[in-house]
Amino acid sequence: MKFECRDLESILRRQDSEQLEAAAVHAETCPQCRAQLQLWNEISVAAKLLHRSWHSPDLWPRIHQALTAESQEPAKEPAFRRMFAFLGNWQALTAGLALLLILGAGTWTIVSNLGPPAEEEGRLLTEEALSEVEKAEAAYIRSIQRLSKLVEPQVRRASSPILVSYREKLMLIDVAIAACQANIESNRFNAHLRSELLAIYRDKEATLLSVIREGKNVQN
Amino acid sequence: MPMIRLETCLISGNLTSVPETSKERSLPEQRMVEDCKRGNLRAFEGLYDTHSARMKSVALNLLGNTSDAEDAVQEAFLRIYRSIASFRAQSSLSTWAYRILVNACYDLMRKRKRRSETPELDTDRQQEFQASSSDHPLRLTLEKYLAQLDPRSRNVFLLFEVEGFTHREIGEILDIREGTSKSVLFEAKRGLQRLINQASGVKGP
Repeated sequence: MKFECRDLESILRRQDSEQLEAAAVHAETCPQCRAQLQLWNEISVAAKLLHRSWHSPDLWPRIHQALTAESQEPAKEPAFRRMFAFLGNWQALTAGLALLLILGAGTWTIVSNLGPPAEEEGRLLTEEALSEVEKAEAAYIRSIQRLSKLVEPQVRRASSPILVSYREKLMLIDVAIAACQANIESNRFNAHLRSELLAIYRDKEATLLSVIREGKNVQN
Repeated sequence: MPMIRLETCLISGNLTSVPETSKERSLPEQRMVEDCKRGNLRAFEGLYDTHSARMKSVALNLLGNTSDAEDAVQEAFLRIYRSIASFRAQSSLSTWAYRILVNACYDLMRKRKRRSETPELDTDRQQEFQASSSDHPLRLTLEKYLAQLDPRSRNVFLLFEVEGFTHREIGEILDIREGTSKSVLFEAKRGLQRLINQASGVKGP
């Protein structure tokens, strides 16, 4: 690889060791790159001196005492009781029931509307309209993929009953998407199926945004 | 190919490095995790013996004084004890512990802000640390600049350049991608480089 001065920045960003060696060789004959590399390395050397160490003879005894006290706390309730502990809080119970009802209604709506109604079987899209719809679907898919990456850790951990509910809702939506897509494969121009799929994508996007908001509420 | 990890320890102004392979650590670490899950305090002591020096250094660089740093380390061990049952080995025990430590440090910072406390200057330690500031002319500039960085950039710089974590480990600690860690570090160092160049009247690229 022929090294040029303008490559130095991207090599320092990637921190590829082979390319850094090539940069060092180039720097032997280039004063500007040499100065930049030298400073870059000096920063690393100076940084090591920020590592601090000091003797703390009483720190482990304090930690040991705290852990011992913690271990002697009254035994926690069994896991299944902890899972339903929120039931003691009527507001959480009401919110949980409301969410279950919404989920149930939403699932029923999605599943019962997957097949196109008989009177709408005749509605077909033109090539131009299909192309527009497919662009809209692709935009939703990109947004959903981006949001899914953001919420993946939260959904995986699901540290509250509401997040568990959202996780289950997302799973149901994915099932609905898969079923709708399977139908569309043999009915690409069916307007009803296409609008259903867009509606489900909107629902998934909105749910992912709700997970993000819930995550922020939990952090605060 | 075994992963080599560099640990740096400052002993009498010299840097020593202790290469370790993850394979050598994995069996003892598994045992440590199992013992910790059983509430065996000796296992926690083992974790303390292995990591406390680095944990204290990370905490001190984030919090600014040794007293708060020690409190943060103590709090981190309490949190590790409380949540070890839910540790699923998706990362190593050590990177998980450092993640808990960083969060404990930021919680302490927030508490301090709410109470409008100013960090207690540990004068004995300040003198001890200041004595070594003459070791490198860039050190004071570095400290001032780091204080101005946003938390994520400061964390990445501290963990990589000061404490010798790899970008993969930093990714696990801070829950960011390895590539993101490299980019954040690059931007932080480039900013510092520009500052130093400006101060010395040197034109950078």
